[in-house]
Amino acid sequence: MRMEHISKRFGDFYANKDVSLDVRKGEVHTLLGENGAGKSTLMNILIGLYQPTEGKIFLKGREVRIESPSQAVKLGIGMVHQHFMLVEAMTVFDNIVLGDKNHKGIFIDKEARKREILALSEKYGLDVQPDRLITEISVGEQQRVEILKALYHGAELLILDEPSAALTDIEVEGLFEIMNKLISEGKSIIFISHKMREVLRISDRITILRAGEVVTTVNRGEYDGQGLANLMIGRELSASQYEKKDSQAETVIELRGAEFNKESKHNGLNGVNLSVRKGEIVGIAGVDGNGQTQLAQLVTGVIRPDQGEVSLKNSKVAVFDPDNFIREGVTHVPEDRNLQGLIGDMTIADNLVLRTTDKAEFSSGGGLFLKKGRIRNYARQMAKKYDIRCTSVEQDVRSLSGGNQQKVILARELEAGPDLLVAAHPTRGLDIGATRFVHDEMIQARDSGVGILLISADFDEILEMSDRILVIFEGQIMGEYSGKNPPIEEISLAMTGK
Amino acid sequence: MNTAFIANLILATVRMAIPLLLISLGELYGQRAGMVNIGLEGLAAIGSLVGFLVSFVTGSNWLGLLCGALAGVAVNMIYAFATVTLCADHTVYGMAINIFAPALASFIYRVYFGSGSELSQITLMRGVAIPGLKNIPFFGDLLFNQTPMVYITVAIVIFTAIFFKRTQAGLNYKAVGEHPRAAATLGISVIRVKYLACVICGALAGIGGAYLTTCYSNTYTEGNVAGRGFIALAAVIFGRWTSGGILLACLFFGFCDALQIRLQVGSFGIPYQFFQMIPYIATIVVLTLIGAKQAGPKANGKPYRREQR
Repeated sequence: MRMEHISKRFGDFYANKDVSLDVRKGEVHTLLGENGAGKSTLMNILIGLYQPTEGKIFLKGREVRIESPSQAVKLGIGMVHQHFMLVEAMTVFDNIVLGDKNHKGIFIDKEARKREILALSEKYGLDVQPDRLITEISVGEQQRVEILKALYHGAELLILDEPSAALTDIEVEGLFEIMNKLISEGKSIIFISHKMREVLRISDRITILRAGEVVTTVNRGEYDGQGLANLMIGRELSASQYEKKDSQAETVIELRGAEFNKESKHNGLNGVNLSVRKGEIVGIAGVDGNGQTQLAQLVTGVIRPDQGEVSLKNSKVAVFDPDNFIREGVTHVPEDRNLQGLIGDMTIADNLVLRTTDKAEFSSGGGLFLKKGRIRNYARQMAKKYDIRCTSVEQDVRSLSGGNQQKVILARELEAGPDLLVAAHPTRGLDIGATRFVHDEMIQARDSGVGILLISADFDEILEMSDRILVIFEGQIMGEYSGKNPPIEEISLAMTGK
Repeated sequence: MNTAFIANLILATVRMAIPLLLISLGELYGQRAGMVNIGLEGLAAIGSLVGFLVSFVTGSNWLGLLCGALAGVAVNMIYAFATVTLCADHTVYGMAINIFAPALASFIYRVYFGSGSELSQITLMRGVAIPGLKNIPFFGDLLFNQTPMVYITVAIVIFTAIFFKRTQAGLNYKAVGEHPRAAATLGISVIRVKYLACVICGALAGIGGAYLTTCYSNTYTEGNVAGRGFIALAAVIFGRWTSGGILLACLFFGFCDALQIRLQVGSFGIPYQFFQMIPYIATIVVLTLIGAKQAGPKANGKPYRREQR
């Protein structure tokens, strides 16, 4: 597969500019780049969702025009999207045969097709259960369903868009095994990621994109992780190494035997004991969907525990109500910034003062009349302090990139002067630069005495940031480890319940 | 209460349920492709008028039903173009059709017949007995001696169940209402399915309306659809987006309608308006009881833009 001089313009903005890329049979070719570097746009062109403004695509030496996704499927190009393209209300089987054009006939011969699917699943070690509903299976299995779906539709070239984002280390190992099997069968893979460790392990060649243009294509081994990162962001960024602290300050929050919906493995908590002191970061490591969401809701007062108690600053909480927790100095960077963190259609300035509109600083009469001018000035200050890149603070928050949206939330939550910051997946979907910024701010907050509960499925982030590490699995805390020289093997095992 | 009363009630239940069922099935095809069309009332109204007019002029009820369907499709294309191509809000355009189409129907009626008080009438479609089955005691005469439209509608229910459950095309169709982007990546043309959905929805709602004037009452009166378009919306939810469920829901609502007419006839000393409320109150009660727990197709009512960043 070869793409030559591809450009894609949205209005005045070039998402891709003169990009050329070639992928050989049986290789893993990595696309490396920050968010907004144009990786997804390029891939969407390849699968026919977007039409390139300029440029040509060749498959096996023949020029092709990919005008629709169905054509891409016919040409043997399959993509596993970062946000899975699975219909949740349907079974695994239904999702795989969806859109199938290789079989003639009006009716679906369930038994015969199931046999085909299972055979294919066996061949590549994908291990899927066709009769389960998508909502019933783990994220790792959903991903295998996506891969199987692409193979079932006859993919020769597979695009994997940030496939490891939602997986544990062990699941990532499994994914790599599958990828190796695929290339040994002569399939080609385009691998999109910005996790250096993985990129260096699995790629045969690496193409680096920055601001919509190709920086260079290198072979594995030509650069180390740091070198690649520097190429990717276009400047030197030294490796981060945060100092780990051992705080003895007072406890801000303590959970004793907290239970919520404990029968549920994926959405419950079962006998959770934990505490966070001022001036420390407690990291909750674990695969997504092991009760993290409920934990975050519990420590911010959104839900009430069925059993057990929660103490804020050594006094037992009686009323579980977010407002009560906010008044006690708990702030929250929620896991889904668009759903829970921001109001997309409101401006940056409005989002920044959402919780503080009743303060005399921003309004008179306890929130009756807003002092728009003051709010705007404050927002400008914040935009500067937190490096929120926008054309105006009156801009809709929806129009910002993910990283800048997260900075808006961080500004709002940290400026409140919290005692406890609950940060759920604070850097999910953020590029290296923005991630670094968020991490720096969190460390700075910790050093000024804020207690931080960091919930993250990104194991590297947990290791890098946490002073203490707790592992959560199926709603239970599996163990506690020091953040200094943590036993990585043991923790990854604990994350799978062993 | 005697057998005759019950027999009449069952007969009327089926007769009342059929137009509702046709309209609801149209909505089912719409919503399965993510098209929440609340303009059913309007589509049925124009179908009803056109069905009547064509039957009146040509003397053929079948031609009336066909033209009613075409009128429904034609009007629904306004909605389709606005919501699918222009990505406009479904509720706004559905409502627009509810306001526009009945007014258009009345306008055409007045232009053609003038504003005289003389009531124009047509001959209703006759019942056809199914040999064999009609000899079943009691029920035979009730259920198997109906107009062909009843049998056709039941056939559509069965076809729909098989289509969505067993066929490749039905699976692809459903995916459009659940996750259009996923459907698109698998080479399903989302736009085409959505337009097709609007054609089917317009046609069935139009036939549902035309049924009222060709098979049910032999004349056209303003407002003869009488909220059936909205009850059909409720029936789709009540029937959990399956054709079998919708059949039961429509029979239930049809029963309420039949009951209220029977009760009006009997003199109970209660103003008849109270009985007229029964079907609508039943709708509200049903929606209240089942409302919150129901989840339809996931991408219902959401616009689909092909090149969205």
